[in-house]
Amino acid sequence: MGIERWVYAVRLRLRALVNRDGVEQDLDDELQDYVAHAIEDHLARGLAPAEARRRALIALGGLERRKEECRDARGLRLVDELRQDARYAVRTLAHARGFTIGAVLTLALGIGASVAVFTIVNGVLLRPLPFPDPDRLVVVWSRPSGLIGPPLGMWDRDYLTFRASDRSFEHAAAFSSYDANLLSPSEPLHVSVARVTTEFFDTLRISPAIGRGFLPGDERQADSLVVLGGDVWRRSFASDPAIVGRTVRLDGVARTVVGVMPDGLAFPRAAQAWTLQTIRYDEGRIMGMTVIGRLKPGVTREQAEADFEAFVRRQPDRREGWQAGVSPLVDLLVFDVRRPLQIFAGAVMLVLLIACANVANLLLARASGRRREIALRAALGASRPRLVRQLLTESTVLALAGGIAGVVLALWAVPALLAIAPAGRIPRTELVRVDARVLAFAVGVSLMTGVLFGLAPAIRMTRRRRAESLAPGLRRAAREPERARAVLVVAEIAIALVLLTGAGLLLQSFLRMRSVDLGLRPRNVLAMSVELPDASYTKAEQVRAFHRALLTRLGGLPSVTGATLVNWLPMGTMTLSGDYAIQSRPGEFYADKPAVSQGYFRQMGIRVLEGRDFTDQDDASHPGVAIVSRSVANVIDPAGHALGKRVAMGIRPGPDDWLTIIGIVEDVRQNGPLRPPRPALYQSYAQVSTPLLLTHVTFLVSAAADTRALAPSVRSALRSLDGTLAPVALVAMDDVVADTRATSRFHARLLGGFAVLALLLAVVGIYSVLAYSVAQRTHEIGVRMALGAERRAVVAMFLRRTLILSAAGIAVGVGAAVLTTRLLATLLFAITPTDPWTFVTGALAMLASALAAAWIPAHRATRVDPLIALRSE
Amino acid sequence: MSKPSDLVQGTLDLLILKILALEPLHAWAIGQRLKQVSKEVLQVSDGSLYPALHKLEHEGWITAEWKQSDNNRRAKYYRLTAPGRRHLEREAANWNRLAAAISSVVKLKEA
Repeated sequence: MGIERWVYAVRLRLRALVNRDGVEQDLDDELQDYVAHAIEDHLARGLAPAEARRRALIALGGLERRKEECRDARGLRLVDELRQDARYAVRTLAHARGFTIGAVLTLALGIGASVAVFTIVNGVLLRPLPFPDPDRLVVVWSRPSGLIGPPLGMWDRDYLTFRASDRSFEHAAAFSSYDANLLSPSEPLHVSVARVTTEFFDTLRISPAIGRGFLPGDERQADSLVVLGGDVWRRSFASDPAIVGRTVRLDGVARTVVGVMPDGLAFPRAAQAWTLQTIRYDEGRIMGMTVIGRLKPGVTREQAEADFEAFVRRQPDRREGWQAGVSPLVDLLVFDVRRPLQIFAGAVMLVLLIACANVANLLLARASGRRREIALRAALGASRPRLVRQLLTESTVLALAGGIAGVVLALWAVPALLAIAPAGRIPRTELVRVDARVLAFAVGVSLMTGVLFGLAPAIRMTRRRRAESLAPGLRRAAREPERARAVLVVAEIAIALVLLTGAGLLLQSFLRMRSVDLGLRPRNVLAMSVELPDASYTKAEQVRAFHRALLTRLGGLPSVTGATLVNWLPMGTMTLSGDYAIQSRPGEFYADKPAVSQGYFRQMGIRVLEGRDFTDQDDASHPGVAIVSRSVANVIDPAGHALGKRVAMGIRPGPDDWLTIIGIVEDVRQNGPLRPPRPALYQSYAQVSTPLLLTHVTFLVSAAADTRALAPSVRSALRSLDGTLAPVALVAMDDVVADTRATSRFHARLLGGFAVLALLLAVVGIYSVLAYSVAQRTHEIGVRMALGAERRAVVAMFLRRTLILSAAGIAVGVGAAVLTTRLLATLLFAITPTDPWTFVTGALAMLASALAAAWIPAHRATRVDPLIALRSE
Repeated sequence: MSKPSDLVQGTLDLLILKILALEPLHAWAIGQRLKQVSKEVLQVSDGSLYPALHKLEHEGWITAEWKQSDNNRRAKYYRLTAPGRRHLEREAANWNRLAAAISSVVKLKEA
């Protein structure tokens, strides 16, 4: 029954707001109609027209009065008062310009920062995936327990049995990603390719823009079909509508284009080509794949998860203590960033709280100045709720102004934040934009802050005192708000300290991470990875000839001081590793097995500890040699005489497979500063003949100065040798190394920025409280000084007060920090969340800032002239 | 908010709802009808009728529409809404209980 009435009421209220004149006109007409009836009635009884009219009006008791009562009854007065209050607020705020600018700036900082962070959170975490019914899409995974990371999928053999028995999914698909050279009419491209099972597009519910997706049965010709991405089709094939049925070369293999996907579909990773994955049960080979599924209608994720867990338990082999799960698909993309983003969202809310406390402080300071005004209004009949409402309107106007300024600030801050974010580490940034949800958030936050900082001062200001308020010269009354302001300052200090401590921990992490020796120190080195397609480079000799030719060309480029190669990307994601044997020691050992050519260690800045580098002589026609890293040398001979000992790749070496160790080099933290160094066994490139170990190679080009300028000539050197190839990656090694700490640096910078903002706001808060307190107590200070108090004593009096406030704030803040910094645990490196030094440093920094903030007002107090102060009474 | 002074609080609302339950009327007619059915006992001052009507309209118990009357004036006709009808039933029941209670008390005194 409520709803029907609501409809009436809301419609009427809206009309009152929107069509003010119409409502007034109706009121007028209705009363006029009444008067007319009454006059007719009187005329019928024989009264003269003038008298009839007079009596009718008397009976009504005054037209205007009745109208006012009707307006009251309709709730129009609330609307009127709101307008009136808003207008009054704007006028008052425009008057108090200094106060308004200070408050709006403070709020803009707080609201702007939170809107900026929310914009990013919204884009990365909240916006739905660009597929129909994205909530029904899940990723299905199982893995040994104890691993932390994004949900990654399952083994291919499991996938077959899983699909055979599964009842929860409408569609499911498995896929894996790789990179390939795509030969387009304009130029060779390096594209991200996904190998997918036939149901892939059906699972996502994406239909091709032209042509078709994959169909059951296509597996039989898996190696000759391809679906292209809309972006690649548009950019490199000029949106050629006749492309379906044509042949393109992907890594040298001719494939028929069966369809083109719509623009914007780039899943998984930035895939722009999809090929078919055939899954066969193969005893000797296990491959991990990502598996996604679309839940059947009516099946919940939890049910599917329970089903899948039961399935994993049923598998015959291993699986003791394996985890299994069915997670929302978005987890696959945002796993790594969810926690940090949540932490930053929390941090920015703390900044906003401090901003609110500051503005509340300003309002309280103004409150004493306005006590007379409030008292006057109360004396003239304004009720307390009415006064509170008026003051709240004022703070809301203030908050909305701050909100608008904040959104403008956020529009600028979001790109700035994304720019300092480590490249490629935050997914879905293309979805980050100011949308309706962000604007709603901004309005909501503004209104909330308005009430948050406005309510307490409003209630306090309108508290009824005896008739005192209209009387001039009230010193006593000021004391109570001062206590409220002290509480606010303590809260500000506490919150700022929490942020300061958190930022300190992240900064320490970053510094400790930076001081970790990675084992390599490349300077001005450009790395170009090249993958030679198996189809056109079948023999090792072909591959090597190509590499030699390219190496010669690169070495001959102007300003290049050295060129070398390695068969992986150092510090990259790909590693080549395997077993090795030691002649002098039984057992199986494991290490990375990069193959490098002469000059690799020098160019990468890897220290040679003993022995020598490879030379051109170390080729197939000479005895096999190897260089080992420090930890491998220790395994070979703990006594430190590894040089000259012999090792072999693989665990069952033949008599000719033994390699003599000619050098020992420093260990390299291949997986970044967070992981221990990996043992490595380097082979001479010229002595490697397995094609698998040769197809993916990174060329390292050193120059005297910045190498980034070299990129075009390096690229064209590759093109001049084989026009179908594009580099897999072309990066400055200096960047690759810096990148390993980029995330940590970003976290430290971001939280550091928030902490600085919080500290600044808190300092401003302390300053304003002290300055106000000095101003209020001018008289008292004058008396003290007249009675002989020294300047030092007066300064000490105010500094003591600051000390007390700070001590309270720091005590609360340390407690809160102990409780909250553990949220940072996963982002920290080599430091505990309760690191005592960081806590002490943070507290001292806070204390120093507080005293610095109090210094100026405290000194101003000593310049009070006792005579003037006393006269000011 | 001003209230009709010459009626027990709340009773005016009840009377208006009851009269409108019979047929849609404009304000003047509602006043006339009130006098007529209460046999001139219940005098509603013309002034208090309007705020009461506007309040009822605003609460959604009654709704109004404009009609052109014969002498070419715009007249506002009020009519009961469905929630208003249910409200009237509840209020009428309350009233009857109250009236019964009062009259029994009054009788007590006489005995």
